[in-house]
Amino acid sequence: MLEIEHLVTGYGGVPVLHDVSLTLSAGEIVGLLGANNAGKTTLINSLSGVYAPMSGRILFEGKDVTALTPRERVELGIVQVPEGRLVFPDMSVRENLLLGGINRRARAGRPRQIEHVMELFPRLKERLSQNAGTLSGGEQQMLAIGRALMAEARLLMLDEPSLGLSPLFVQYIFGIIDKLHAEGLTILLVEQNLNLTLRHAERCYVLERGRIAVEGAVDTVKDDPRTRSAYLGL
Amino acid sequence: MAEFLQALAQGVLIGSTYGLLALGMGLVYGVSGVVNFAHGDFIALGMFMCLALYSALSLDPYVSIIITVPVMMGIGALVYRYLLRPMVGHKFLMVVQLTLGLSLVLQNGILMVFGGQPARTPSVMESKLWILGDVVVRVPHVIAFVVSFAMAIGLYAVLRSTDFGRSIRAVHQNAHAAALMGIDVGRVQVLTFALGLGILAIAAALLLPGTPIQPTMGLRYTVITLLVVVLGGMTNFVGIMLGGLVIGISEAFGTIYLSDILGMLLPYGIFVLIMLFRPQGLSWGAAR
Amino acid sequence: MRAEFYKTLTSPVWWGILALAALLPFVLPSYYLHIVILSLVYVALASAWNIVGGMAGQISLAHSLFIGIGAMISTALLLKLGINMWVGLVISAAISAVLAAMIAWIDYRFQLGHLSFVLITLAFAEMGGLIVEGWDFLGGASGLLLPRDAGHFLDFQFGGSQGAFWVMLFLATLCVLINVAILNAPLGYYLRTIRDNENAARAIGVNVLRYKVAAMVISAVLTSVVGTAYVRYLTFADPYLLVSPVITIEIVLFATVGGLGSAFGPALGSLLLVPLGELLRGQLGGVLPGLHYFIYGIVVIAVILITPQGLLPLFERLRGGLVRKHRVPAAEPQRRP
Repeated sequence: MLEIEHLVTGYGGVPVLHDVSLTLSAGEIVGLLGANNAGKTTLINSLSGVYAPMSGRILFEGKDVTALTPRERVELGIVQVPEGRLVFPDMSVRENLLLGGINRRARAGRPRQIEHVMELFPRLKERLSQNAGTLSGGEQQMLAIGRALMAEARLLMLDEPSLGLSPLFVQYIFGIIDKLHAEGLTILLVEQNLNLTLRHAERCYVLERGRIAVEGAVDTVKDDPRTRSAYLGL
Repeated sequence: MAEFLQALAQGVLIGSTYGLLALGMGLVYGVSGVVNFAHGDFIALGMFMCLALYSALSLDPYVSIIITVPVMMGIGALVYRYLLRPMVGHKFLMVVQLTLGLSLVLQNGILMVFGGQPARTPSVMESKLWILGDVVVRVPHVIAFVVSFAMAIGLYAVLRSTDFGRSIRAVHQNAHAAALMGIDVGRVQVLTFALGLGILAIAAALLLPGTPIQPTMGLRYTVITLLVVVLGGMTNFVGIMLGGLVIGISEAFGTIYLSDILGMLLPYGIFVLIMLFRPQGLSWGAAR
Repeated sequence: MRAEFYKTLTSPVWWGILALAALLPFVLPSYYLHIVILSLVYVALASAWNIVGGMAGQISLAHSLFIGIGAMISTALLLKLGINMWVGLVISAAISAVLAAMIAWIDYRFQLGHLSFVLITLAFAEMGGLIVEGWDFLGGASGLLLPRDAGHFLDFQFGGSQGAFWVMLFLATLCVLINVAILNAPLGYYLRTIRDNENAARAIGVNVLRYKVAAMVISAVLTSVVGTAYVRYLTFADPYLLVSPVITIEIVLFATVGGLGSAFGPALGSLLLVPLGELLRGQLGGVLPGLHYFIYGIVVIAVILITPQGLLPLFERLRGGLVRKHRVPAAEPQRRP
């Protein structure tokens, strides 16, 4: 479904990602691991079209999307749940969800999608007219995921969904991720939390200083010594 | 007492239009961080377009907005797209300097076309008065008041309950997140700037009847608008309308109770004090 | 760092150019001499402004006040109280210094951001203009007329255009030299630190208040003195010219076009734009009033869009290293527009 070929992305002419190649098949849940500053967020933002790559290609369902704008990619169904959730704090939960589905493809189906999100997160239903800024961290994460689902995501990319959440909420959120996967959604799970990711993903990539250091099935990655060293930054 | 009410009425009526002028600027600032120092010159441009339409087609200013609003919006879109958008990522102050340059271009462009003599644009409403007890108000001021508040309310409704309005607020609150929703941030910024100038075109027509206009008057309107926007807390809707009233009323009281010059000084004095002691503006943490 | 300053000070090239320039009044027809004098006025004003606006990165729009104080107060003191204009120059410079220190203190005390600083100084400038217009002592709206320049040096008279030229050449040179000196002194270093990150400057123990006051006061005193000399040259103290924010805007734009924060940039911008504007005004002013301002505006927009650091870096590239470059462009992440 997604193929990244030799992607190089950087700031001010200095590459951050070097020659990254990665594939995702439809219905898969793939983990992208790495320490802080390994380039995970840069990669996910390259996929969303926020950064223009210096070289390389991104194919989505066989179509070259490298030159597409963020909006065009959302319309194709490449949707991101950003790090830090980034909900719109001074807007209600409902308005946040409506904004999630603002793209041309999803706009008409919003009433139906909202129902779906409410089923998934009954807690948001009680807070529909509350400002998103007043929600707890866990609720904001629910909202951020719900907002991405509103866009009728076909590839859902989650950037550090466990960040800053209590263990109970982490469990809950990952339960939801499993559920979405079971419904057939393709998921790219970007995480710093190694064990958590290994439990929920089918395959993993480990980024180290902008390069893919390890890749393969969960067990292979788990046992590879380079995985640990990538984390320790050795 | 009559004098007091007279000043109050006049201040409220004019202040509402100042508020409207400032809403346009606040909206643009909120969405793209641009403080437009050519704002007042665009008002002047709107007024002179009305004058030209009157000279050529004998259109009343209230009618000519049918033409000036779309033209100004078109100009706004082009200015943002080709002059301001390339400044994204540069220091904020470069935008200040660029719009100062734009102000010179507009002001003197108008001067070259229309000459420097003060001009008036007649309107059927120009000399009509309403007398309410001891207070005499000019009908154009009443129209300005009603239209300004209607526009403000309309704008508020658009921001609250349309996709376009929500996109504007989303870009204001977090442009990166807005882009991830599939909102074309650049397009929202262009449209908002165009909308801001469209509002100015209407405000220009509202202020025009009975006001002699000169190419150089733009700077004064820029300053007044800046005062109001800052008083209102930059992007706070209610705050900005309130700021307009404060400036309008202080100007009216100043000119009636104090000498002309002192009256004109009063708004600046109030502005400086509020700026220093309430930098967040007049609003008390109300919703954006 | 000082070495750089002495190098400029002892450079035969600069003194040669200066000596040649000093001969201009003997060869130039009076119309062109007038243009050169005006250019020098703006070289001085833009360079003085650069100390605050360029080096410390604070766009002050209050400088019309300092020009106005230098021009209107010294003139009023002479006409209304009979005070010698040399004394008037010192008095108005002192008033400017106090006002400048006050503005810098307000800026520091209330931690104004860049935008607030622009707005507050603009409000001060507007208030200053209104006060002059409304105060008869300063000539009110109709301005003041100085007595004819009879060339009495002790009465601050320099004998018409020739004398005015040398005075302005001196002041312009002084302002540029002070720019070079500050840039190469600790003060310049601290100002740039404050410009780039005021909080960081505070954190490493830079006395932000002291340097802000110093920059503002030096800039204001120079501006005020130039204002006094300028009004002597003009003879007519016109409040709409000298106390209007427009003159500050011109200064800001000339400095921006030349290159903010560098020692020679503001001078370069003024030397290019003032003659251009004046020639246009001379040729077409009768037909198209305002054309020169129109062109200024276009040039400024074009320069900002094409070379945001100003024209000086372009010139430096052409000449190769005679003038030291003081600014390093910051790297920007490659975000999609």
